[in-house]
Amino acid sequence: MHRPIVIIRLDGNGRVYRPGEVLSGEFRLSALPERPPKALEVSVLWYTEGKGDPDMAVHEFWRYRLSDQQSMDLRRPQRFSTQLPNSPLSYEGQIVKVRWCVRVRVFLADGKEVVGQKVFRLGGVPPAKCSVNELAASQRPALLGVADP
Amino acid sequence: MARVIRLYEKKRGHRRTGSARVGRLGELLFFAVLSLLGVVGLAAMFFWLVVPQWQVSHRFVPHTCVVLDTRVRKHPTEDLFRPEVKIEYQVDGKTYVQWTYDIATVRDDPSSYLPDQKEQAEAAARFVVDPEQPREYPCWYDPADPHLVVVCRGSKWWTWLAFSVPLSVLLIGAGGLLYTWVSWDKSAERKAAISSRLAPKRVLRANGESRPQFPCVPDGKEITNSPGTKLRFRLPIAASPGWSLFGLFLAALLWNGIVGSAAVYAVTLFSQGRPDWRLNIGLIPFIAIGLVLLAYFIRKLVMTTGVGPTLVEISDHPLVPGGDYRLFVSQSGRLKVQRFSVALVCEEEAVYRQGTNTRTETREVFRQQLLCQEGFEVGSGVPFEAQCTMHVPAGAMHSFRATNNQVRWKVLVAAEADGWPPVVRGFPVVVYPPSEHNILAYQCTDRL
Repeated sequence: MHRPIVIIRLDGNGRVYRPGEVLSGEFRLSALPERPPKALEVSVLWYTEGKGDPDMAVHEFWRYRLSDQQSMDLRRPQRFSTQLPNSPLSYEGQIVKVRWCVRVRVFLADGKEVVGQKVFRLGGVPPAKCSVNELAASQRPALLGVADP
Repeated sequence: MARVIRLYEKKRGHRRTGSARVGRLGELLFFAVLSLLGVVGLAAMFFWLVVPQWQVSHRFVPHTCVVLDTRVRKHPTEDLFRPEVKIEYQVDGKTYVQWTYDIATVRDDPSSYLPDQKEQAEAAARFVVDPEQPREYPCWYDPADPHLVVVCRGSKWWTWLAFSVPLSVLLIGAGGLLYTWVSWDKSAERKAAISSRLAPKRVLRANGESRPQFPCVPDGKEITNSPGTKLRFRLPIAASPGWSLFGLFLAALLWNGIVGSAAVYAVTLFSQGRPDWRLNIGLIPFIAIGLVLLAYFIRKLVMTTGVGPTLVEISDHPLVPGGDYRLFVSQSGRLKVQRFSVALVCEEEAVYRQGTNTRTETREVFRQQLLCQEGFEVGSGVPFEAQCTMHVPAGAMHSFRATNNQVRWKVLVAAEADGWPPVVRGFPVVVYPPSEHNILAYQCTDRL
């Protein structure tokens, strides 16, 4: 049996979002498993990467118990939207990196989980000590609708 | 075939092969056992220490007795002692003679023995033995078994302190159980969402005025609570030398106090003509360490007081990317300065665990020289003073503080003076995110 893939798409084609702006988008599953999933979680969060131990905080969180909402067809796009906070802004430092993402976690009936996430940029802080070329590369828009499993 | 549950794990890069479910179960079991130990310990101590005392206070019958003898009894195997009193008393016409003291002694409880022999002897001596004119003392006996008698009621102070041990174990166990139960089968995001809902949100200032929320940005209240004399705020120093000096002084005092008293003892023995050479030789490295500690303290003291205080004042705070601020710097002391510089610095700090060690790595990612002067003298009572303008780059990352990761901004003052080691003093500032964030506003020169 193939495990489904979470596909996330953000409105605005992955552009840089401003603090306080509304982030909206949709997600769907590539296929439905044999047994319907137990639950689904959608989070808009930031996390750190780099040398230090990771930090994470959730800005918006939705949880759906799918047994109660049989009508939700996860193969069809499900919309979400939230107003983004003022901080922390996305940051590509040398040993500290702050990243924002939309993460969808599906709890399958067999106890396994399927996770998909789409990284986006909040604010336009350029990478620390980058060259002009590196800055241009960092501001290149991300591909649309591709999940980062 | 893939194993359903892995009891052991391997770390492959960022991926772990172990079963999270087994891990959580083990955690639950550990905290459950800890809670059980705490409950059993508390119950045992309650029945062992509290119930007998309660019985003496509420069930034993007050009576009188005469003291025939007293003694201090030594523990059969250890260097512990307890007072004992031999008394004679009558119940229903029958005469009883017993060695007793408190209920712990009557039950021959190990807790009745204590290390201080002198104190136990004093306790026994409170009962006067006079064969000519026996004195009467109060006693309390068990009506169900008159052989059980005490001449001292009440509990020792340490019995209540002893309760803190099983109570701590119970609290740790119960806290762990609660945490494991709350986080059971919950994703990292759900746990983070729960904890962010539990965290207090400070939206109002002290005067009740609301302000925009900037999560993970330090509010910098401690920076703006001191007004300046030339500009609006006086910036606090990152690490006050006063406290580190005081700590060093205390360490030197404690070490040299202990070593000094041992040295006095050694000298006394020497002057009495019976020197202890093992003590004398053993003291040498300790005295050497004490002298090094003292010398280090004096050096730090001279450095701190000799170079003199550095004051930094700023025209406004918190800082915003793209903003210009005036800075006033003052350096006191009697110095022949070779080089004096002021810079705005941004650094990243990452805390990570390596095995059982916690390590911190700091990386400077931005430095803007604000002021640099060379070859001048600072006279006594005439401090060096300078003003400069500070520009925060338009695309600067704001101050960021999370549990393990930080982005910090500070004004760094560095001074190199004749006869002194280089002194670097940091004055933290907070950079807020821009209110109107324009992603195209960055200039190449301003870039981090």
